[in-house]
Amino acid sequence: MTKLAQWLCGLALLGTAWATLALDPLGLHLPLPCQQVLWPFPVYLLVAFGCYSLATIGYRLATFNDCEAAAKELQEQIREARADLSQRGLKF
Amino acid sequence: MATAMDQLVGFGLVAFSLLLFVYYTIWIIILPFIDSDHGIHKFFLPREYSVTIPVIAGLLLVLFVGVFVVIVMWKNRKPAKKSD
Repeated sequence: MTKLAQWLCGLALLGTAWATLALDPLGLHLPLPCQQVLWPFPVYLLVAFGCYSLATIGYRLATFNDCEAAAKELQEQIREARADLSQRGLKF
Repeated sequence: MATAMDQLVGFGLVAFSLLLFVYYTIWIIILPFIDSDHGIHKFFLPREYSVTIPVIAGLLLVLFVGVFVVIVMWKNRKPAKKSD
């Protein structure tokens, strides 16, 4: 089974579980606060996932370290490449 | 070390998303279990907004992404005629 199919099955399962509890087709009346928590639950999961993504991006942005040696090596390689190519006649 | 601006923006994002998560969690999960005459309820909007605001924000996000894609593709279109 492809990954997409797996994810869709998982989502369908969770969606069915939520619909069964929230739309109450079986008539098992949950206490009112539980119903009130249950209704926005999918939106809550989406917002929580969005917050987690934002926090991860922000954290990795803040802790990304410069690589001095790699930067110098790259500049060196760029100069070599320019010299080589202009020698072969390519105009910059 | 990332630059000071990078660190500021990065940790700012972390703090913002943490605040948002805590506010939204209290709104959705904790408030229904608190009596309606407690003072904490006046810090939170009516419950309907807890669904409408994220949905509208999500739609706006999709709209902006779509507009951005359209603009970039429009700028990159090549003329169909070739100069033979």
